[in-house]
Amino acid sequence: MQRPSDETLIAYLDGELDERENLEVIRALACDERLQAHAERLNASARLIRAAYDDVLREPVPERLIAAARGERALSALQRVLAHLARWRLALGERPWWIGVPVAAALAGLVVGGGLGFVAGIEQTASLTAQQDLVTAGAGTNWLDSIAGYHKLFVNAGANDRALMDVPADATGDAARKAGQLPADFRLPNLKPWSLDFQGARLLVIDGRPATQLFYTTDNKNLGPLTFVEAESSKSDLAPTFDRREDLNILYWRHHGHAYALVGTADIGYLWNIYNDIAWQLDAI
Amino acid sequence: MSAPFNDQLVAVLPRLRRFARGLTGSAVEADDLVQAACERALSRAHQFQPGTRFDSWMFRIVQTVWIDQLRAREIRRTESEDEALGTGTDEPARRVEARMALREVQAAIAVLPAEQRLALLLVTVEGLSYREAAEVAAVPVGTIMSRLARARMALLAKLGGDALRGSTEDAKAE
Repeated sequence: MQRPSDETLIAYLDGELDERENLEVIRALACDERLQAHAERLNASARLIRAAYDDVLREPVPERLIAAARGERALSALQRVLAHLARWRLALGERPWWIGVPVAAALAGLVVGGGLGFVAGIEQTASLTAQQDLVTAGAGTNWLDSIAGYHKLFVNAGANDRALMDVPADATGDAARKAGQLPADFRLPNLKPWSLDFQGARLLVIDGRPATQLFYTTDNKNLGPLTFVEAESSKSDLAPTFDRREDLNILYWRHHGHAYALVGTADIGYLWNIYNDIAWQLDAI
Repeated sequence: MSAPFNDQLVAVLPRLRRFARGLTGSAVEADDLVQAACERALSRAHQFQPGTRFDSWMFRIVQTVWIDQLRAREIRRTESEDEALGTGTDEPARRVEARMALREVQAAIAVLPAEQRLALLLVTVEGLSYREAAEVAAVPVGTIMSRLARARMALLAKLGGDALRGSTEDAKAE
């Protein structure tokens, strides 16, 4: 009797053969002990292969994946941001709503709200040591994990995925402003002096709060791709603080109900300088 | 977007994560891959045909996004994950050995050619039939059959006898 090929034997063990082929393999097994042993080893290896990834099924699914599956990343963020901005407009009356208020939320994808007093506010807060204690106390580990994850998602995305950004780089011009999607004085941090080109923005939900992620790319590998995240926060103000997630450096701070972060593989010195630049630009608005 | 579609997507997340973990060999990259796949699925929900297998449809999206990413860049594996496993714990020695055996299996799968890894994960781990796996991978059934056989035989050669001796039950006992 002809010994079945490995392909046929595996298909037999997987229940993929028809009745006639099954019978042929059964007959071959019945009269060949070495073939039986071989089949048993294949069965044992299949059990191992299945068991190798069983732990993944028992792990809690990250919040960001559930949010992504629910489609909450863009829609809910937009709704929350619009409601947020409407409240500010009511509170500020006829004054331009972004003056003096660091409304670092996103409207239809992108509003880098800085406002006057952005840097001054940071300078007026408590000592660096005290603030770093606050950072530790209110660690926001999940928040940092999430923004690091979103950064990697951006870096890993192919060109087609980047085209799905909520607000492409070319959609932040006059047309968007005239359509009321963006305020007239809208300013995007210009990081071209750092050879960083703005690629677009995404609306996210991080720790249940709306956030905007701005993407910058560069040919300078020492600087690498960079993301700038701004989000709502209920925590107290914090001075710029450094943290790491795997190979990513993160410089984050909080000011007047908003959290900001620069994320990338760039050296922390770069991030500090870029932070100063962004703070200066927002202060100049 | 209908609620049942989102519900189906949430329900299949654990399996998508397992599938993606096998493809990428990295927990972080796997979750990034699943998130990208979810976003793509939601943007193309109208293409899903009711009455067909939702999990197969999602596996296909995951593998499509994965291939896009492979083409777009060089995959970097996270060494820190390997360092974090199996060291410095109070686990009984037998359990650690079982865990090590499973790590050995994962490592062996990780070095398989991508198309063999895909066939192995779809059929042996996810339990799809050859025909279903062929539809996900967009190749003939015979191709799946031969890729799977090559993968299984390569693993058998790599794992040898030690890894196959009774470690499955120990691992499950965790």
